[in-house]
Amino acid sequence: MTRYRDNNVSRVSTSCVIGLIGIGLVAGLLSGCGDGRTPLTIYSPHGRDLLQLVEQTFEAANPQIDVRCLDMGSQEVYERVRTESANPQCDVWFGGPATILGRGARDGLLEAFRPSWADALPAAYQHPENLYFGLYRTPPLLVYNEETVTADEAPQDWDDLLDERWQGQVLIRDPVASGTMRTIFGMVLSSSVVETGNTDRGFDWLRRLDVQTKEYVHNPALLHQKMVRQEGQVTMWELTDILFQRLRGAPLGYRFPVSGSPVIADSIALVKGSDQGEAARAFIEWVGSREALLLAAEQAFRLPARDDLPVSELPEWARQALAELVTAEVDWDLIESEGAEWMNTWDRSVRGQGSKK
Amino acid sequence: MKPSSRSRRLAWGIALGLVWLVTYPLLLTLLEALGGVGAWTLEHFAEFARRGDEWRALWRSLWISTASVVLAGLVGVPLAFVFERTDFPGRRVLGALVALPVALPPLVGVIAFLFLYGESGFVSRLVQGTLGLDQPPWRLHGPGAILLVHTYSMYVYFYLFARAALARLDGSMLEAAAVLGAGRWRTLWRVTLPQLRPALLGAALLTFMTSLGSFSAPYIFAGGYRVMTTQIVASRVNGQYALAQVEAIVLALVALVALWLIRRLQTDETVTSAHGVAPSRKPIVDPWARWGFAVVGWSLAGFMLMPHATLLLISLVPHSTWTVELWPPVLNFNNYRELFAEPERLRPLLNSLWMATAATAGAVALGLVAARQSLRQGGRLGAALEGLVALPWAIPGTVFAIALGTAFSVHAPHLGRFVWIGTPIILPLAYLVRCLPVTGRAALAGLRQLDPALEEAAHSLGAGPLRAFRRVTLPLVRPALVAGLGLAFITALGDFVTSIVLYTYETRPISIEIQSALRVQEFGIAAVYGVLLMMLSAAAFLVWGRGEAGH
Repeated sequence: MTRYRDNNVSRVSTSCVIGLIGIGLVAGLLSGCGDGRTPLTIYSPHGRDLLQLVEQTFEAANPQIDVRCLDMGSQEVYERVRTESANPQCDVWFGGPATILGRGARDGLLEAFRPSWADALPAAYQHPENLYFGLYRTPPLLVYNEETVTADEAPQDWDDLLDERWQGQVLIRDPVASGTMRTIFGMVLSSSVVETGNTDRGFDWLRRLDVQTKEYVHNPALLHQKMVRQEGQVTMWELTDILFQRLRGAPLGYRFPVSGSPVIADSIALVKGSDQGEAARAFIEWVGSREALLLAAEQAFRLPARDDLPVSELPEWARQALAELVTAEVDWDLIESEGAEWMNTWDRSVRGQGSKK
Repeated sequence: MKPSSRSRRLAWGIALGLVWLVTYPLLLTLLEALGGVGAWTLEHFAEFARRGDEWRALWRSLWISTASVVLAGLVGVPLAFVFERTDFPGRRVLGALVALPVALPPLVGVIAFLFLYGESGFVSRLVQGTLGLDQPPWRLHGPGAILLVHTYSMYVYFYLFARAALARLDGSMLEAAAVLGAGRWRTLWRVTLPQLRPALLGAALLTFMTSLGSFSAPYIFAGGYRVMTTQIVASRVNGQYALAQVEAIVLALVALVALWLIRRLQTDETVTSAHGVAPSRKPIVDPWARWGFAVVGWSLAGFMLMPHATLLLISLVPHSTWTVELWPPVLNFNNYRELFAEPERLRPLLNSLWMATAATAGAVALGLVAARQSLRQGGRLGAALEGLVALPWAIPGTVFAIALGTAFSVHAPHLGRFVWIGTPIILPLAYLVRCLPVTGRAALAGLRQLDPALEEAAHSLGAGPLRAFRRVTLPLVRPALVAGLGLAFITALGDFVTSIVLYTYETRPISIEIQSALRVQEFGIAAVYGVLLMMLSAAAFLVWGRGEAGH
């Protein structure tokens, strides 16, 4: 190598290095700036639409608080809160099925706090030790592509998914990481246990569903994408997401299963060891208030869990959903205690076994 | 020159520091997998051994990694020969372009592939439409899809390493072989390839380790088809933490054995220090062949750049406007506007930048000091230092993140454990350790080429050790260091596997933001982040490329 070239290279690289370090320092300075407000950190699977709405409305009413939302899967929230238990970063655990928050409660990750609105909740949405409370009702349901399937042809009940017509046409969100899918599978298995004494009937049903299934999709985004692009014709998912998809023009239709939907108690909790307890309590108190619930229903398709709100004040979609929705009887305690083992068995001995695709 | 006791202490200090940061967390994870002090049990290991699906995942990890090495080599090495030994129109530009897959961070690359070759992807629809098929022509799924992505993103290692080695080849040896009557193939087999061996083994090692730790491709393409990295995450999500720890330990052991095996192949290499002049490139004179080469070359580069182009295209597609059409009906800058209008959405970009910069700077400094001490001390301490610097390479990102999380979530300063989980320290620190092998290797390579007499001359002329280092050593190893720096920066900037375990609100990097944009169906926003990440990586890659060239 010639000396000339080395010199040239080192000059170019030196300026590059200096440039990089400069960028890095500026970036560090910019991101390090705080504004003196109380930071309130929220872990939530609710998605940007609701989180932004809640953040802006709450901050407007409480200018001294800086709401910071981290959006992640409901199972991930549990995992992160558990991993960070030595140094909790999260103040409010906002959202996720009661079964998952229940595991957090058993692991001692939650702090008891009973907001004033808890009295207006049905008993099933209350925790005996006040560790978490149901905030919204999220009904899982059947979804189909409106462009290829008419409303009459669409499956009316869970069992219809096993119909020959849908063979290789069912898409399913990978259930291991999904609270919604875990709840649906949990309903199938727990009713099998309650009615026959063991899980055989339930796993048999899931095995038949596996035969129908074209693909277990990695996340809800890809699920919707694949549904819209007609890679499959039917799926199961939950009401809120589907209403948002429809709002954005996706041709997805939905049906409340006639035998009943395992309505998820989407819950909220105060995290143990939170160093912003006061702001966190204020947030929980506010987000369950009549005003905030109506706002969430109006703008983010959330069905309130409280049953003291007059139906007439709810938006049209919510009134319709309440009229069509059949709530399935589900043994939630059984799902909570056995759910992990069931999913484990399903993952290892049912998934992908039904057909060689 | 006998190392002073002060520099010996420094060497020991660095060695201990590395043991504390790399080996110690793994040991603590092993202890926990064994039940921990007072509750020793082999139950979790026994459960692992009993389960067919664990062995299957392990076997898949191994064969996929091996196949990735073979495929990446088959693509990368011939390309290196074409670009280094022949001359045709556009050779220089194309030679740089075909290395660009390295500037596509793993998660982003996988998403681009999905949009390109997935069932309703661009190319699939085109083929389906052209051939008039009822069904998509293929499904991007399972081991085939993983291997496709691995080959695409890792052949670059073989390509760059082999090109560099070819450029250093001694032309007189080839001439000698020709004079002695060896044919073209015989020369290739007996002269050229043996000289390329160290470079090829280095590339094989890098490819094998990267595939073994690869997470994004199997995570997104292979749902139920588990390899070890996805198996670990599935176990954690399912709440089986002890089993996840056992899986992490097993994967780390496999990686260490592989590292040891490949290292052994490397040590008995016949080092022929080539000081001759590299053989000149063969210009292709026949005009047909010239144009043939150019056409093939440009189409190849086009193919390599398609994922980048796809990402750019998706970043211009507004939300929910592209469904079953072949070409997106609407293209505009809405996604970019949305992203730059909200300061909160730019934070991950700044976070990634400062963390990658800090980690790279730290890794360069530490790598340089460790490499220098390793060479000066020699003997066992020197070898141990070299081994420690290379060690993080062998530890898959998922495993390392879990180990760090385990070690630094307990307050016990007397045991060297602090509660760092949930603080902004832990993620840049993890990046730093993960970058160390790259910068350390670069520093070692640079220092090895250095004539020690130069520093002695500086001493005898009255320069102190610092001054000699700053004025003599540093300028001479700078090209090597810059090469390491570029690659380290790209690695840290695009990291996904360690970040997903260790990030906090303050340190959430771009890759996490991409993941969360994908979660809420904002493919356009995810693609914008991807494009930004790609451009930053490409800038760093240019720095790296310049470093390698001067190297």
